[in-house]
Amino acid sequence: MHFAAASPPDALLRMSTTDRTCATVACASSVTEMAADGGSSSLHLPCVFSPKSRQYLAVCAQDGRLRIWSTDSKTLHQEYVPSAHLSATCTCIVWAPCRTVKEGPQRKKRKSEAVQVEAKADLLAMGTAAGSVLVYSTVKGALHCTLDGGHSGGVNCVHWHPEDGLLYSGSEDTNIVEWDLQTGKTRSKWKADRAAVTSLCVSPDGKLLLSAGHVIKMWDLETKEVYRRFTGHSTAVTTLCFATTRPPDSNGLYFLSGAAHDRLLSVWQVREDGKDKNSVVSFTLTGEPRHVDLVASNSKEEAVRLAVVCEDGQLHLFEHFLNGPCKKPLSPSCTVQMSDSKASPMPIPLLAAALAAETRSVMLAYGSHLQPAMERAELDTTERHVCLTRDVQTSLSVSMETTVSKVKTPIVNAKSRVLLPGLPGHQAPLKGPSTGTEKRKKDADTKEMSIAERLHEIDLSAVSGKKGAPKVEASLQTDNFAVLLVQGLESNDANILNKVLQTRQETVIKKTVSRLPLPAVLPLVEELTKRLQGHPLTALPMVRWLKAVLMHHTSYLASLPDLVTQLGVLYHMIESRVKMFHKLTRLHGKLYLLMTQMATDDRSNAVSEVEHTAKLVYEEESSDEDEASGDEALPQDDSDHWDDEEEEEGMDEEEEDGSDSRTEPKTNGDEDMEHGNESEEE
Amino acid sequence: MVEYGDIRVVYRGGSKINFRKPVISNDSRFLLCASGESVKVFSSVTEECVHELRGHTGQVTGVLLRPSNHLQVYSCSTDGTVRLWDFTDGILVRTYVVGYPVYSIYASLNHKEVVFIVTPVQSDKRTELFQLVAVNLPQTPDQLVEARDLSAVLSDVSSNPSTIAFGRGGEYLASVNNLKMEIYFFKKNKSYSFSLREYTKNGGKNTFTCIACHPKDDCVATGHDDGKIRLWRNFKQKKEYTYSTLHWHHSAVSSLCFTPEGTNLLSGGVESVLVQWRYNQENQKDFLPRLGAAITHVTVSPDGALFSTSHSDNKITIIQSCVKVSAVIQGLVKGENVTTGLLVDPRSKALVLNGRPGHLQFYSLQRDKLLFHLDIVQQEYIHEAGLEQFEVVRAAFDASGLWLATVEERKQKSAELELNLKLWSFDEQTQSFVLNTTVSAPHEARITAMCFSQAADSQTTTLVSASRDGHFKAWQLGLPAHTDDEGPSWSCDFVGAYHGLVPRCCCFSADGSLLAVGFQEVVTVWNPTSWELLTTLSQPPGDVRNLCFGQLSCSKYLLGSNNKKMVCCWNLLTCSLEWSTSMDVSLLLVDSRSENMAAFCCQDGSTDLFVFKPSEPRPLFSQKAVCSGRVIHAVFTPREVMLESSEESSQWLNRSQLYFLTEFMDLLTFSTKAEEEKLMASSKQLVIDDTVAMTPFYLLLGKHRHEHLGNEESAERTPLPQSSVAIKELLQTPAHVLPATSFLCSMFAKSLLISVTETSHHCFLSSSVSVVQISHSLYRGALSLTFSGVFWCKSYKEFKFYPLKIAS
Repeated sequence: MHFAAASPPDALLRMSTTDRTCATVACASSVTEMAADGGSSSLHLPCVFSPKSRQYLAVCAQDGRLRIWSTDSKTLHQEYVPSAHLSATCTCIVWAPCRTVKEGPQRKKRKSEAVQVEAKADLLAMGTAAGSVLVYSTVKGALHCTLDGGHSGGVNCVHWHPEDGLLYSGSEDTNIVEWDLQTGKTRSKWKADRAAVTSLCVSPDGKLLLSAGHVIKMWDLETKEVYRRFTGHSTAVTTLCFATTRPPDSNGLYFLSGAAHDRLLSVWQVREDGKDKNSVVSFTLTGEPRHVDLVASNSKEEAVRLAVVCEDGQLHLFEHFLNGPCKKPLSPSCTVQMSDSKASPMPIPLLAAALAAETRSVMLAYGSHLQPAMERAELDTTERHVCLTRDVQTSLSVSMETTVSKVKTPIVNAKSRVLLPGLPGHQAPLKGPSTGTEKRKKDADTKEMSIAERLHEIDLSAVSGKKGAPKVEASLQTDNFAVLLVQGLESNDANILNKVLQTRQETVIKKTVSRLPLPAVLPLVEELTKRLQGHPLTALPMVRWLKAVLMHHTSYLASLPDLVTQLGVLYHMIESRVKMFHKLTRLHGKLYLLMTQMATDDRSNAVSEVEHTAKLVYEEESSDEDEASGDEALPQDDSDHWDDEEEEEGMDEEEEDGSDSRTEPKTNGDEDMEHGNESEEE
Repeated sequence: MVEYGDIRVVYRGGSKINFRKPVISNDSRFLLCASGESVKVFSSVTEECVHELRGHTGQVTGVLLRPSNHLQVYSCSTDGTVRLWDFTDGILVRTYVVGYPVYSIYASLNHKEVVFIVTPVQSDKRTELFQLVAVNLPQTPDQLVEARDLSAVLSDVSSNPSTIAFGRGGEYLASVNNLKMEIYFFKKNKSYSFSLREYTKNGGKNTFTCIACHPKDDCVATGHDDGKIRLWRNFKQKKEYTYSTLHWHHSAVSSLCFTPEGTNLLSGGVESVLVQWRYNQENQKDFLPRLGAAITHVTVSPDGALFSTSHSDNKITIIQSCVKVSAVIQGLVKGENVTTGLLVDPRSKALVLNGRPGHLQFYSLQRDKLLFHLDIVQQEYIHEAGLEQFEVVRAAFDASGLWLATVEERKQKSAELELNLKLWSFDEQTQSFVLNTTVSAPHEARITAMCFSQAADSQTTTLVSASRDGHFKAWQLGLPAHTDDEGPSWSCDFVGAYHGLVPRCCCFSADGSLLAVGFQEVVTVWNPTSWELLTTLSQPPGDVRNLCFGQLSCSKYLLGSNNKKMVCCWNLLTCSLEWSTSMDVSLLLVDSRSENMAAFCCQDGSTDLFVFKPSEPRPLFSQKAVCSGRVIHAVFTPREVMLESSEESSQWLNRSQLYFLTEFMDLLTFSTKAEEEKLMASSKQLVIDDTVAMTPFYLLLGKHRHEHLGNEESAERTPLPQSSVAIKELLQTPAHVLPATSFLCSMFAKSLLISVTETSHHCFLSSSVSVVQISHSLYRGALSLTFSGVFWCKSYKEFKFYPLKIAS
């Protein structure tokens, strides 16, 4: 697709358009393929933001449908299928200037009346390859009218008159047609060029029209005569827009042009003396300009701000004071690229960009034409090169429906952290007395040292203990456990710790803990705390360990200067876990009462039945029987349940007791434990 | 008002659209609904508001299509007028002054130029009695017409518009009120009343809630409080009436509606399920469940193509007759109360407040449009009266919009309070909020206030939540946890308390270096880095209600208002009271872009506004009675483009706008003259003829019509026998009711032949059977091909020429 400058423009355009239609059909048939390559093919699909508030994005995708996306909610707002969307593809989309909703004739300004609501973007014009222009209304959600019969070739470009209800279209058949939208008919039609008209632009004051085939011509719209001629582009001009709003007689009217396969945007000055043969400024790009948005300057002091999206999917931002010629081509003040967040990032093509009133914020559309993503991005314009990383939906659903539901669900994934009462971070970390901050550090240091030392010693002793193993077979087990535990704590080996901590035998636990060297106590407590924070079921065995630790090493723990910070987490956790204990016991009591009553009730009913038959036999005996059987029946019903309950209770109580570092055997569970312990010790 | 003439309070939207039943236009393209003091015309396809019909000075209480002209609509209002509008162009056609507040409006085809309205009985204002009155609308070309020709029809009716309905095109009228149903026959000028006992055996309440009349049949459907629907028949006699009962709804039926042909009955209630009952086969039902909120009204378009349901969350759902939701028109949702207050999302510049249960709503101020609901709780909402469910009660954004904190709570009677604090981060990659940390039970009691540290450049982000349990907690974003895959998460950094008092409000200074917490009567100032209590500021007794740090040059001031009608300003450099004044401030807010502060003072029903700088003694701007009703929430939103107003009184609006919400859920703001002029100048009216409607049929027919017109001018044609009765009949009667073509053919051919015979001296043609045979076959061919006008023309010609040819 490289064309010499001398190649006939007609041929070129015909080539490119046939190319385009073929490509469109091919793409429509393989949507997924398009998605895979990110939609950055050579064909040019129109993608335009609505003017002013950038409420909508109009995209004509590969399937020939017009989709209007809402930039606020980032959802599909409307979809319109032109009746000939496959044969007569849409070549260009232009939004009409905003129009206000027509007000009634009499309009007095009352208090509490509506503000003149910001003008709504409503109409948009689409030029088709078949030569007709479709005007679509977004408010009505339907085709407003079809402008037909003006062109014999495909429409290349459309432009609205800024004030009157007029529309200009340039076509392949070298003509420009002026449409009157009040009547829907052509108002005038003239031959503009020898070649196809590829671009059009009406000046902001509505008096001049730029058209371009190969030569850029400026027309006076009143007389429809050529006002100026600008030559310089060797290929078809694809972009034309006015950069200033000043009138032409002040030497201050500038416009931009960009051409196919040209990595430049040229700026032309319309000079009073007519000596405007060459472009005055040029902006360098990395590819053919696809979408240009600019904030025109109203005076010499105001810079023109320009956002150009190139063929290669990059966005270039320029800011320049238009004031006479500038020899050097200007490079962008900021270049924006997008990439996806995969391991090997792929670029995401930008489709369109729109500048906002604030200099930093830019409205971006990117991704595929079928499902563009929109975003109002705050750019750091001080940097020359900005790369944004975004997740883009790569799998496109074939049928897209305008979203009816207005509910958005934020992402909730497993990564999010849950803070329950009792976990560290839920309460402020407890700090010891304020005096000991430095001291504590020292302590920590020395303690660590001592642990290491002691562990070494213990290792040695353990080894020595092993040597004498055959002698004391029974005590070896626990001795081993203590050693293992110390080793596990030091190396933080989950396997060893699991093995040790999952023992359920009271005696083993007791002995292990009692033989534990003092410096290993604190690490053990920390490990236990960590494990206690887990699931209640896995935490259950830890309670025994904790109890044992507190029974044997309370004095050591109490001697620690920073006890509060060390045990704070544990304290909070136990506190929050037993918070509901009182209520639970009350509920338990009530339920128990209820259940026993129910049971006795059932029993008495059953008895009454029995009584019917054997009333006269023996009263006392029968009542005896009742009681006995009632007692039997109760545990049968829910014996498992009760056992569990009691066990848990016992544990909870212990925890509470332990944390207070007091031991008051109160409940059954405790008593049982004590009893068991005693017997073991004997 | 005079001196501040260039600033006025303007209405910005948000009003109720579910107050009364909407009306769908005959072509199903528009949906009209009463909204505050205006009628809004929505496009039923795009959900956009096409027109707003303004002119009423009271609340609009009813909208009704004019039976004789389907492009016009009546609206009635409590201001005592009935207005006639052309809704396609949004023009007020006529105003009828009735003189009494109107609560609902009805009309029927049988009664030409008469509307029926419900007005209160004037003799007794206290008892709230209403009567149905027929109003004769005089036909004069004047704009303003007095309509004093009133005649009472029924007394003791309910003011609820869904309790009155016309049956069979206006033959009778049925009204229900409490336990009584009254049916009035216009022809006989007689009314029958039927009443139910108060309670049925099962304890369900029998009270009537709504009524609908079958359009073709003598059948009246009534809805009841216990969820039953009764179909009354044979009510022309007082004694022998019958009714059948349909029961699906578990609580009150709020709306009933028959489809225009009477084949279906639609009903809706609090279950938020639209039920479609087949008429005469009532055991067959269709359901459209999960409509989001309780249904308040059900309507059907006159052609039966669209249904619409209004919902209690200020929403209108448009449903196609195949029971598929096609569009949702959503207004600003008024929850039971706006507990989160008004927030502005710094990222999207949208107004954020709690709306639907468990959701936060994002509302675009620029477009007066709800953008979306953010599902915070993510639990199914069960539509059942008396069931307590999780509600979003507090929310806060940090300065950059990266973090959103929400508090949801569920309080059931005699149960523990369930509280969750959720912290959401905005993920730029996915462009969505992502849950970062959930803190269950962050406090033991309700959270009274929550705020982020607003400093933009601080290293750590801090959130402070104050609770009724007497503590405030500071949450900080921690460093990444030990495992690498997890990002940073939030944890508690500090718990503060002051003498067991309850903190009610908290506030960070603009640079984030100070935190002020109001503990009942005492204001405490803390250092957020070391969490030291720096100072306490005493004030005259009274609980602190609002706290605000000054901004920019006034950042040394801290302002507070209390419930004893005092506003105090402390100087933080000297820790002393700078000034105080006696004002009952209900809302105190600060503009982050300027030094200005706004105070709303509540005084017996109306609210006054004062805008001031803390350093200056005189207010910059004050306005008495900014709106009717109390202002409950307000917020300053930064402007995108700064205004350059030079006038002193309006300078405070240059950088930000002040939005406020009244108790009636109207969103109001202040607008300056400069702003309006700017808007007016920039928006030029683009007049485009709307009548160039393009349908495929128009494309086919219209083109030919144009050609046709052209032909008429150029080529001479003999006039067609259009006056013939037979042709007229043939062309005008619908195709499906026409008799067989063979039957019509001879008649049709004959009618054509007459004209020929008239001109050419009554020939042999009338008796020629063969000609009729030929034309018969031709005609059938023409008919079977198409109905378009072209072929009619062609067939005329051919008929005309055939006989002549044969004749020659």
